[in-house]
Amino acid sequence: MLNIKVNDKVNVYDLNMTVNGKPVAVAIKPHLTLLELLRDTLSLTGTKEGCSTGHCGACTVLADGEPISSCLMLAVEADGRNILTVEGLNGDDDLHPVQKAFVIKGGLQCGFCTSGMMLATISLLERNPRPTEAEIRMGLAGNLCRCTGYHKIVEAVQQAAQEMSHG
Amino acid sequence: MADKKYVGRPLPRIDALEKVRGQSIFAADVKLPGMLAGKFLPSPHAHAEILAIDTAKAEALPGVRAVVTVADIPKSAVYNPASRFHGFLARRFVVFAGQAVAAVAADDLATAEEALDLIEVTYQPLPVVHSLERALQPECTPVIHGRATTSGGGTAHTQVVVTGEKSAGSEEEIDKSPNVVDENVFSQGELEAAFVESEVIVERTYTVPTVHQGYIEPHAVTAHWDRPGHVTVWECIQGAFDARNLIAETLGLSHHQITLNSTEIGGGFGGKGEGIFAPLAVLLARKARHPVQLVLTRQEELIGANPAPHSVIQLKTGAKKDGTLMAIEGEVLVDAGAYPTGWIMSNITATLRDNYRFQAWHLHGREVLTNKASVTSYRAPGAPNLSFAMESQIDEMARQLKIDPMSLRMKNVIREGDPLTNMEPQSPVGAEEVLAALAKHPAWTQPTSERAKADGLVRGRGLALGSWAGATGPAGALAILDAGGQIRIVLGTVDLSGSFTSLAQIAADAIGISYDQIVINKASTDFAPFAPMSAGSQTIYAMGAAVKEAALDLRAKMLRHVAQDFQVEESELGVDEEGVYLLAQPSKRHAFDTLYQLGTQWFAEYGPLIGQGSAPQRQRAPGYAACIAEVTIDPRTGKVTVDRLVVAQDVGKAINPLSIEGQMQGGVTQSISMALWEELLYDEAGQVRNPSLLDYRMPTAGDVPMIETIILEVPGGDGPYGAKLVGEPPMVPAVAAIANAIAEAIGARVCDLPITPERVWRAMNMAGSQD
Repeated sequence: MLNIKVNDKVNVYDLNMTVNGKPVAVAIKPHLTLLELLRDTLSLTGTKEGCSTGHCGACTVLADGEPISSCLMLAVEADGRNILTVEGLNGDDDLHPVQKAFVIKGGLQCGFCTSGMMLATISLLERNPRPTEAEIRMGLAGNLCRCTGYHKIVEAVQQAAQEMSHG
Repeated sequence: MADKKYVGRPLPRIDALEKVRGQSIFAADVKLPGMLAGKFLPSPHAHAEILAIDTAKAEALPGVRAVVTVADIPKSAVYNPASRFHGFLARRFVVFAGQAVAAVAADDLATAEEALDLIEVTYQPLPVVHSLERALQPECTPVIHGRATTSGGGTAHTQVVVTGEKSAGSEEEIDKSPNVVDENVFSQGELEAAFVESEVIVERTYTVPTVHQGYIEPHAVTAHWDRPGHVTVWECIQGAFDARNLIAETLGLSHHQITLNSTEIGGGFGGKGEGIFAPLAVLLARKARHPVQLVLTRQEELIGANPAPHSVIQLKTGAKKDGTLMAIEGEVLVDAGAYPTGWIMSNITATLRDNYRFQAWHLHGREVLTNKASVTSYRAPGAPNLSFAMESQIDEMARQLKIDPMSLRMKNVIREGDPLTNMEPQSPVGAEEVLAALAKHPAWTQPTSERAKADGLVRGRGLALGSWAGATGPAGALAILDAGGQIRIVLGTVDLSGSFTSLAQIAADAIGISYDQIVINKASTDFAPFAPMSAGSQTIYAMGAAVKEAALDLRAKMLRHVAQDFQVEESELGVDEEGVYLLAQPSKRHAFDTLYQLGTQWFAEYGPLIGQGSAPQRQRAPGYAACIAEVTIDPRTGKVTVDRLVVAQDVGKAINPLSIEGQMQGGVTQSISMALWEELLYDEAGQVRNPSLLDYRMPTAGDVPMIETIILEVPGGDGPYGAKLVGEPPMVPAVAAIANAIAEAIGARVCDLPITPERVWRAMNMAGSQD
């Protein structure tokens, strides 16, 4: 059960969480979704909204390493958790191996599904560092892409898996 | 001109780094101070008269800044009841469920949604024209109310285009049904005689449902009245100038009152051409005196945001025993929803037979209105529909003639100079070449019977050809030499499919400079020369020509100035990645940055160096693609699995093979999905029954195979370096290749898309009901 600490007077909730390695303390309305918190309150617009119903996967972020649809999670449910978004993947000059692989292999076209797709990939490779093609396809089945036909996304994941297992 | 150093290379997207970092600004990422949330009230009825709208309660809700209805549309606005664009807000009548009736701007989305519930609309429901059958009845209620005039969106008057020898008799065919808004007849040769000469005749009817383009980013637009009488708009749009012009027309504004910024676009596929929602945001922002952002939900997308049309195509084709195609008779019906498209039906009818030679043809098409959302383009609009019909027909003909489907196609396929339906000679095309490439591919040479069938599953292989003539049009671009020797390509085109990368490759080679020195600057409609819509696969073809011309113009100016400085002829100079140099003495040179400095300092000999590109690009270069599909079917359930997909496409010249492969794989996947899964379901009340991505089934990574691509470069393209159109042709043939593979596997033909497990099972088990 959630221990919701609603401040009665102004009907806000004091949220404490970690986003991309940095502590975040913010007073929010309890009905805010995690996606709204990220995009509107924290201005982390790299996470996208494609359907608001948990079907397209564009809003995928990692909560304590688990991929979740941030459109379906209330921000208050993320209290105390560690959230990773696309903005937390790379340093100033370097890219995460998954980012690098998506660039080199042409694993993105319009880029709208890319943030969610890459975070789903990171989670997949965490669980299964050497996935087969079928395992990659099933591992990313929660993330829709309309541009690539998935071919180059699969190749990018294979490339990232190879690089990460050597690195 | 310099050698091709970058053209032809599989370079990653020029914007890939910002995209994998999540930095690209898409339309819904635009944030402005004081920005309000916009939301529209959709009509619950597919057809009704609006008797009254009471917005008082909504306006009184705290946090609501504006409520707009039709009364807020300026009198100066152009209005044609037959234009889907002018129907952005319903006037007296609503003509499809989901059409906006009013809209609200509020401090936040929750308040805007609450306000919508407080708007009281009194409707008088009218009979709903929910199907083609209903719409074609002579006594049917008309979908369009009022006197329609011709406009960009189409016309409500029946247009009959008749070509060919039998034109006189064809006048009798004019359909008087009130909802037939466009009618075409194309007739050539002695049809009856050609059928009499035919030894095999195949006759079938093929249906394709309404499908959605399925871009992952919903429509989004932000409008900000930022100075007196002037609005700036940010929108995910395929045509920035088209969108600006549409806002001007629908709201009675002058073009100079509007600045349109096209943002990054999260897929469009034809569905975000002109943008049908911007006028609402502009109207709300003006009344609210605050910036307003309107972002559609997925449900609003699937219900009201211009999907691709449902069609019914009836074909009768005749051939001689040796496989010579003789005659074709076609009857085309296109369900355009509530507004005429003005061209999709015409295009289907006029190109139905254009991939094959026939002795005689008679093609009759009608575009019909129903009380459904207006339809628009979807990647090669109508071509997958006609290819499904035509290529299924050819395959069945081959089976009846006992001729190999590849050989039958090769024997009859259109070649350069053959007459098209419009009686123009066909351009140099790669139709034969794409088939030939597949004919020698192992996926074709290895007989399907060799593959195991021991597991109780059935397997089949199918072939299909597809084409798309594409769009073309004038485009302008500038090439500006900037500090540090960088070259800025300034243009107003939208990067829908990786085109900026290819444009940078084209510019780099035209000048002879390093690709890294090229920057593509997308400018707003205030600063960019005219750019055509990123549609019809024309961006590299048409805008590429303008960019190349601008780059060459800049190069010529640089050479002229250096020749003056060095007191030599221009022919004595060369260009490399560092700058312009004397061929005889390469150390004598001006770096690009030096040329910039010389052109921008006080008392300069010449001004800043700017190259200009202005290309009309009048020739079209039709693109051809062909597919082989292999499927496995579980006879117990009818479930189809696509095991293998090979696509060959003629691109003229591959500017960027990585990008082209991506286009081919993406287009083929949308085509597979159209064959097997996608369908917007409407009920008798005109309501969409499956407006969510759970119920409107788009493929996941788990549903499709790797897509093997074969890129062919058949000369004859008029585009830069011989390029032809790329983006749309791969969308066309996979639908029919899969249908043909299924027919081979189960020995029966399913003629209705999507080919669901139920339809497959019925075709297998209820012989005679489908075949």
